[in-house]
This record gives sequence, structure tokens and C-alpha cells, in this order.
Amino acid sequence: MIKRNTFLREIVTNRMLFLMLIPTLLFFVINNYLPMVGIYYAFTRFDFSKSLFDSDFVGFENFEFLWRSGILTRLTLNTLGYNAAFILLGNVGAIALAVLVSELKLKWFKKLSQSVMFLPYFISFVILSVIVYNIFNYESGFLNTLLKGWGLNPVDVYSTPWVWVPLIIFFYLWKNLGYSMVIYLAAITGISDEYYEAAKIDGAHIFQRVRYITIPMLKSTFVVLLLFALGSIMKGQFDLFYQLIGNNGMLYNATDILDTYVYRSLKVTFDIGMASAAGVYQSLFGFALVMIVNTIIRKINEDYALF
Amino acid sequence: MKIKEEKYSGLFKWIAYISVALTTLLCLLPFLLIVSASLTRNEALVREGYRLWPQEFSLEGYRMIFKFPERVLHAYGVTGLTTVVGTLLGLFFITMAGYVLQRKDFRYRNVFAFLIYFTTLFGGGLVPWYILFTKYLKLTDTYAVLIFPGLMTPFLIILMKNFIRSAVPEEVNESAKIDGAGDFRIYSRIVLPLSLPGIATVGLFLALGYWNDWLLSSLFINDTDMYQLQYYLYNVINTVSFMASMGGNGVSLGGSIPTESMKMAMAIIATGPILLLYPFVQRYFVKGLTIGAVKG
Amino acid sequence: MSYRKNALTLSAGALALVTVLSACGNNNDDTSSPATSPSSSPSASAASSSASAAPAGLDTSKHVTLQFYMLGDAPKDLDLIQDEINKMAEEELNATVKFNFTTWTDWDQKYKLLLSSGQQVDLLFTADWTQYQAYANSGAFLPLDDLLPTAAPKLQEFVPEDMWEAVKVKGKIYTVPATYKEYVTNGFVYREDLREKYNLPVPKDLATMEAYLEGIKQNEPGMTPLAIDNVTDNLINPLRELTDHSVGAKLPYGIGIKYESPNDVYSYWGSEEQLSDLNLVRSWAEKGLFAKNVLNQKELSGDLITSGKAAAMLGDNPTRYNDNNMKMQSLHPDWKLGYTPYAEILGYATPVHPIHNGFAIPKNSANPERALAFYEKLVTDKRYNLLTQYGIEGKHYTVENGYYTMIGDSSSNGFPREGMQGWAWRNPEYMLFDQGYDGVKAIFDELDKVAKPDLFTGFTEDYTSYQPERAALEQVEKQYFYPLYAGLLSDVQAGIDTAMAKAKQAGLEKIQESYKQQWLAYTAEAGIQ
Repeated sequence: MIKRNTFLREIVTNRMLFLMLIPTLLFFVINNYLPMVGIYYAFTRFDFSKSLFDSDFVGFENFEFLWRSGILTRLTLNTLGYNAAFILLGNVGAIALAVLVSELKLKWFKKLSQSVMFLPYFISFVILSVIVYNIFNYESGFLNTLLKGWGLNPVDVYSTPWVWVPLIIFFYLWKNLGYSMVIYLAAITGISDEYYEAAKIDGAHIFQRVRYITIPMLKSTFVVLLLFALGSIMKGQFDLFYQLIGNNGMLYNATDILDTYVYRSLKVTFDIGMASAAGVYQSLFGFALVMIVNTIIRKINEDYALF
Repeated sequence: MKIKEEKYSGLFKWIAYISVALTTLLCLLPFLLIVSASLTRNEALVREGYRLWPQEFSLEGYRMIFKFPERVLHAYGVTGLTTVVGTLLGLFFITMAGYVLQRKDFRYRNVFAFLIYFTTLFGGGLVPWYILFTKYLKLTDTYAVLIFPGLMTPFLIILMKNFIRSAVPEEVNESAKIDGAGDFRIYSRIVLPLSLPGIATVGLFLALGYWNDWLLSSLFINDTDMYQLQYYLYNVINTVSFMASMGGNGVSLGGSIPTESMKMAMAIIATGPILLLYPFVQRYFVKGLTIGAVKG
Repeated sequence: MSYRKNALTLSAGALALVTVLSACGNNNDDTSSPATSPSSSPSASAASSSASAAPAGLDTSKHVTLQFYMLGDAPKDLDLIQDEINKMAEEELNATVKFNFTTWTDWDQKYKLLLSSGQQVDLLFTADWTQYQAYANSGAFLPLDDLLPTAAPKLQEFVPEDMWEAVKVKGKIYTVPATYKEYVTNGFVYREDLREKYNLPVPKDLATMEAYLEGIKQNEPGMTPLAIDNVTDNLINPLRELTDHSVGAKLPYGIGIKYESPNDVYSYWGSEEQLSDLNLVRSWAEKGLFAKNVLNQKELSGDLITSGKAAAMLGDNPTRYNDNNMKMQSLHPDWKLGYTPYAEILGYATPVHPIHNGFAIPKNSANPERALAFYEKLVTDKRYNLLTQYGIEGKHYTVENGYYTMIGDSSSNGFPREGMQGWAWRNPEYMLFDQGYDGVKAIFDELDKVAKPDLFTGFTEDYTSYQPERAALEQVEKQYFYPLYAGLLSDVQAGIDTAMAKAKQAGLEKIQESYKQQWLAYTAEAGIQ
């Protein structure tokens, strides 16, 4: 009862704030929370002639296809590994670029480089896969033409699994760095000049200013990016893998992730129950991870925690 | 500022210019390859691969996409409209939410932040979402359905919350309160002007989302006059590839179908106008802008 | 880092935003190719072309609007056609129709949504490649057996009895099959002008084909002899058809069934047959007869041929061969393609199965009877049929010497031939053809002489009991068999051994056994010996 009263009191005192939040809450209720009933699909046998809640409850049967292949562990590890690399290198790269760009003095160069770095973001993976094929294919690819020109032996990149680990990470960074750099750039812009002036007076040189002022001030932005990335650590970047690797089973040990596996498995049947089951597995994984990390962050500094 | 060269600043400058220039080049080259390919005859592309300079110049890729120019322009119009309206509306809601969620005196801010964040973790999937919009909300073939789902994302809200918190010192908030300003007034008169770099960033991302969207058209639009640009372009390409792979539509087409150069032309057409947005956003990434505003 | 996530992207790969472009490239065997001679219309009893009232048993007292769904893009002048059709339908059936098109972008996902969301869909295109049997089997369509006599007696009579039989799933009719007979059977496609130039043998069987390819490799070092954009469709399946007389190109799970002995089901995977097929593929790969990275090939085989990058295809259907030939000659008048139908080697050819093109009435139809009556009009009424297949005469097309002639070109014409992808409601009596199709007709006439029924497509597989194993096996095939299909592994036998070990782990035997039981039940029921 007491709890209820505080809630009511809060509504009264901060009614304007509640009002300002209402459109957002409404949005998420409609767009996200209502459709969440669909999670139940994961536990039923889908049937066109029955509605969702009339369908037969089958427990965890829809999950079976995930571990049946015996490669769930590998898929999970691949997915985690790639995402970890994306998160780590993506953020380090974006921060480095943002710091460097923000210190550029030549106006035209600064503007031009930012715009150009954004270009890859617009290139779909379908298009990218065509370019990549043109660079690496064995007979007439750009790379082998070059090697042959130098009198060297051609290489068969599409039959060499390990090469694709760095390649995939590289193309991920290539496509997304411009985007995430903007976030850090905006954050750097928000840092008060007074800090830098004071540091200058204290005799700090530029590396020290970056190290002791800029980087710490970007921490909270980094935490946001990190927590959102962790939440979807079992998902994502389907197009990147699917377009670059496609049907090339030779490379699967090094490049197969959960999403591509699920896609191939269900492409023909399109079973809603099994697709939902895979989604639930991914969600639970992300959820657990985020709860742990958020709790740790909250212990260290409450301001940085997401919730 | 005519003081002696600072320690290491020369070194730093070199590192900055060289690495930024290299990255820029790396991003530019593939794009030039695409531009060149879009201007190459399809046959040469298939036979000889991609070059930085078209080996056989041709506009056939563009011609195929602009077969019905009024339709392409129309699709540009739809995308332009949804992008502008969606971005403005979305910014309004997101900034309000971000402002509320960073207010330390708002007791349930963490609960709400969690509820919002939670939607990135769990979702019901495509089917129930589709049923909700078509069957219950009856939004098929409306502009509302092209705008509503893109209005906000948890990520942008939390990002906005962070931007506001670092741009608006707590004291500003408190002193305004003491002066008797209401919450909405503080938000509109003080918080918004101070958060311009954040707003510009979030606005850019919202606009990109609308600009690149094709799924909403794909799911909810039957009326060909309401297709968004990206969806229109995908359809042109898919139709042509389908015809190429199944062997015409019972009519001799007379001439090849430029499947490859068309894809590249599409990438260029789809990218074009939105690039103009970025320099506009850049104006807000100038240091000192915000601090000046606080003091003033 | 795009964090733009909606509810929809959360639902795993199958429903993920799958890039559309990939889906459409390789429809080799499963895509219908339209057009050919009306010579072989299998019975056309009814079909009066005069305006007629609705069937006697049909209640037309209430006005209804029908939702009609077809694959592909809407033609530009669709509204014109729709208005014309509705004028007639309004009067004769007290109904109007809305023609909806799914586009080719993610159509399979939309198909699923249309059927699972419970929205009104009155008529929907079906085909073996849109999973007609699976949907019918899971209750997505209405059975038509009782509806036909009252709502569409003329249509019931128009479609021959054996075709109605052939489309049945679990003993019920769920789709109205197209009666037009065509072939999408394979044949060697090769550059005839190069063959003449270097005096190479005509590809008449695998040995001469190989000799031809080697000749190309020798004389045209810059060319890839064999065009492949998909190792199964362009290489393994045609090969199996020729060497093993496989009953259907799409036999799943490594199962082998020969056309001449349909009741003998064996495991092709791990068999001597497979070993010799894959050894052949490997030897071709070693000789460089096809590209090394075929698993990642981006261009379509047809494009590779018409652009002069490649010289031959192992298997393609007559319509597409003809189309590629015309395309190529318009740019390079001195180039020429040759064609050898497999029928010359196998001694038989199978016309497309009735399931290949049809229209069903989904469970969520608001007006099943009127929908069927309307569909009857579309097929049997000449006015409806011509309008929806070719557009308005004098505006979109003219008929010259009995040939269809398009007015203007593809950019000015708002309704090209079969602009609504009306493959399913083709009526052989009313069909009009472009002059360029005479070449295909000639091939079809030859194939007609050795025509035998398609034994495979009518089979309905029920995979509910082995769904998880099926997913796992799909993975095994891609990961362990595809490299063999592409001739990438030097030790073929060892490659097969590994793949078989993995396949068995995934449940190969359980699936094959269950498939075999179902298949034998089917052949027994259908009287296939």
C-alpha cells in the first residue's frame, strides 16, 4: 500500500515528466510489448487452421533443431567471438578516429573525410559481396591478377577458411566505423573546453589531454554502446555473413554463426515455431549477459548503468 | 595564440592526417569501383570484372531503373516525406524521453529505462507484429505505417539521455526550477538548445533509418504509388533478375538485361541525396558551441 | 554499428531481413518458363466466349470484393485492366476484384504472412516451388472438391480428370491446375559457332560434352568452358539426371530413385554412383573446365554465356535456351547457341506436373464460392482471359499473322505479354505467342513424341516427424557435400566418408527410412510401377 502511494505521489509531483514520457511508452507498448505474445509460438506446433493459443503446446520440441546438428556450441562460440571482435575493435577504432578527426585543423579536409567515411554505410552487403568476389576470385580476381603480374603464385582465398576471420571483421569495420564515429564525435563536441584550457595551463601535452580528458569523458557513451551490443550478442550481422560466405561450406567452420545456420535450416519450411525458438535462445543469452554486466557497472559507478 | 610549438603536437598532427587520409581512401576506393561499374556495359562487367575506370561506357543500368522516371521520382517523394516527418516527430519524442530519463529527481527513471531497453532483448517476431498492424490497427497502405515503427529505438533514446546529461549541468536544471520554470519549459528553452550536437546525431540516425527502409513497404504497402525508394529499387532489380533467370516473359526482349550494372546503379541512386544531409549535421559538431550557450 | 532494431529483427534468421537479391538468382529448375505451342491442349471442352450468367447454384445476391494475390510485380496499367474486368464481374457475378501483387522482393516471406495472419485472401497462386503441398498439408487452403460443382462447374469440366487427380493432397483438391502443357526439362546448351570454328564434337552425351569443354579450354584460354552459378542446379542435378536417371531433380536427403524403377529407393549419398559422379566433377575441376570459386559465383549462368565469358551449360530448359540465344544474337549476330535436349539421351521427357501452376483458395477467404466462380471466368471466358494475359488489344498488343505483337517497347508498354504473370490461368485455346517462340515450339513438338509423366512432383512429403534432423542434415549437405559438388576436395572418397559420418550423426537413416515409407505409400496409391 505504501508503495502504491509513493507511485501516486510521484505521478502528481512529476506529472509533466510523466506526460512527456507517455508517447514513448505508448510506442513501445504497441510496437514491442503487444507483439511479444508471439514468444509463445516457440512452444507450440504451428497450425494454419488454429489460432496461436489453440495450437498444440509442445514444450521445447521446437528447440531441438538447434542442438540436433551437434554444432550449437561451435555456432555459439563463433557468434560470440565475432561479436566480441566487432564490439572491441569497432569501439576502439571509432574512438580513435573520432579523436583524430576532432583534432584536424584543415576545415575542408575534416569535412570531406567525415563524409567519405560515411559512404560504406550505404553500400549493402549484396553489393559488397560482388566487390569482394571481384577482388578475391581465383581465376580473374584483382588480387590474383596482381600476384600473377609479379610472377607469384595465385592464392585461393575462397578455399582458405582462416583468412575469412580477419576479412569479415575488416568489412564489418569498414562498413560501420563512419557511423559509430559520429556518436563519439558528438560526445567529444560536448566536452567543455575549460577542461582542455586548464590542462594546457598545467602543461599537459596533446597525448596527455587525450588520455586524461577525452577518453574518460567518452566512457558513458562507450557503456551505452557496449550494453546495447551485448544484448544482441547472439544475433546480428546476418547479411554480412550470408552474403560474403553464402553456400561455401568449406568456410563454415570459421564463419558460420547462429543466424546463418537458422536461416539455412528453416529456409524451405519457414517454421514459425522453430524460428521463434531460435529467437528465444538468442534473447535469453543476451538478457543474462546484459544483466550481469549492468550489475557490475552499477557497482562501479551508478551513473553509467543503463537502468 | 602565437606561442611556441607545443610538445608532441606536430607528431600528433602527422598521425592524425595520415591515418584519417588512409581510412578515407579505403572507404572511397570501393565506392569509386561501384560508380565505375554502374557506368559500364553489363556484358563487359561480367566478362572482365570491375575496374576503376569503365572499360566500355554505358548508361544501360541507369536507363533500366529509370524506365518509368515518374515512378522513381514518386518513390523519392514518398521516402523524402516519411524521412522528414518521421525524423522531426521522432526527435520530439526522443528528446522528451531522454530528458525525463536523465532527471535525477524522477523516481522511476530506471524502471522506465529498463522497460524501454528490454524491447531490444525480447521480441515476438514478425508474425504477431504483422498481424497487429494489418488486422487490428488496419494500417495497410497508409503513411502512418511507414512512419510509426521507425519513430524511435531504445538505443537512440538512451543515447539522447546520455547526451543531455553531459551537455546540461545539473545546476542549470536546479536554478531554472528555483526561478519557477516548469519542466516542459526547461526542456524546450534550456535543454534543447544545449543538446544540439546530440540532437543532430540522433536526427541523422533517424533519418538514415527512414531513408534506408524498405521492409515497411514490403510488408504493408500494396499500392505501387506508395513504395519507398529503396523498395522500389529492390523491386526493379528483383523483377529483372527474375526475368533474366526464367527467360523473359514470353517476349523477345531484344538486347541483354543489365543485371549487374543495374545493381551498382541502384546503389548510387539510393545513396545520392542523403549524402547531402551529412554536411548539414556536421555544422553542429563544432566545439565551443554548447559551452557558449550555457554561459550566455 | 546499426542499433536500429525493431521487434521484427529480433526473431532469428529465418525471419531476418534476408537480402532479397540472393533469393532470385537461381531458380533454374523450379521456375516456370512460360509460352509455347497451343498444339497440345489437353481437352478443352467448355469455354464459351460469350458473356454468360453465373452458375445456377451460386448465390450472388450480396456484392463482394475479392482479394486476389499473385507473385511478381504489378504491370503499370493494372488499374485499367482491373476496371475493365470489374465492369464485367460486377454485372455477371455481382463481385469486384482487387488484384494484389507480392513483388519478387521477399515474396516467400509475404506468402507465409498472408496465410498465417488471418487476413482476407480469396485467391492465391500456388506452385510446387511455393510449397503448395506443404501448405495444403498443413491446412492453409480450402478443399475445392465440394465447391467446384456449384461454384465453377464449367471449370471443373474444363480441367481434365487426371489433372484434378494429380493435384490432390491427402485425397482432396486444393488448387486449380493450369492445363497448358510445357516442358522445363534440361538440355545441353553450348556455343555452336565456337564448336564449328574449332571443329569440336556436338555434345550428345557426357563424353562428347566433356570433349567439347576440353576443346574450348584449349582454344579459348580466356573463357570458362562451363557456366555454373549454383552447383546443385547447374552441375550435380543435371549430372544425376544423366548418369543415374534420377526421378526428380529435387530429391532431398541424398535419396536416390530411378525413373525406370520408382519403387526402388536407395541412398545416393555414399553409393558407388555418387563416387563416380563426384570423381567426374573432380576431374573436370582439375582440368579447369569450370571456375574454382563456383560456390561464391555471383553472376547468373545465362549472363556468363551471353556475355561470352563461358561457353556452355550442362543443363537448361528450352525456353531459357531460346531466350538466351535471341538475347545473345541481338548483340553478337555471329554468335550462336546449340541445344541438345536430354530426351535424346534418356529417351523420355516429362512435361511439367499439374502442380507447377495453379490457384488456391486460402482458408481465410471471405467468399470462397464467388472466388472460384471468378477464377472460372478468368480461365474459360475469352474476354477475361485475353484482357488479363495480354492487355487491351490495340493498346497493348496486336495480333499479326496469328502472332502476338507488342505495341511499343518494354519501357512504353504498360502491360507486356503475360504482364500479370498469369501462368496459372493460361487457356491453351486462347494463347497468343511471339514469333520468337517458334524455336521453343519446335523443341516441345519433339519432346511431345517421347513424353512420359512426371512421377516425382505429385508426391507430398510430410516432414513433421523429422524436422530437427532435417535442419541438421541441411547443414551437413552445405558444409560437407557442397565442397565435393564443387570439385574442391582432392580425395573424393575421404570427403564422402567424412560427409557420410556427419550425415549419419545428424539422423540420415531416420529421415531416409521415413521418406522411403512415405514414397512407397505414394507410389502404391498412385499406381506407379
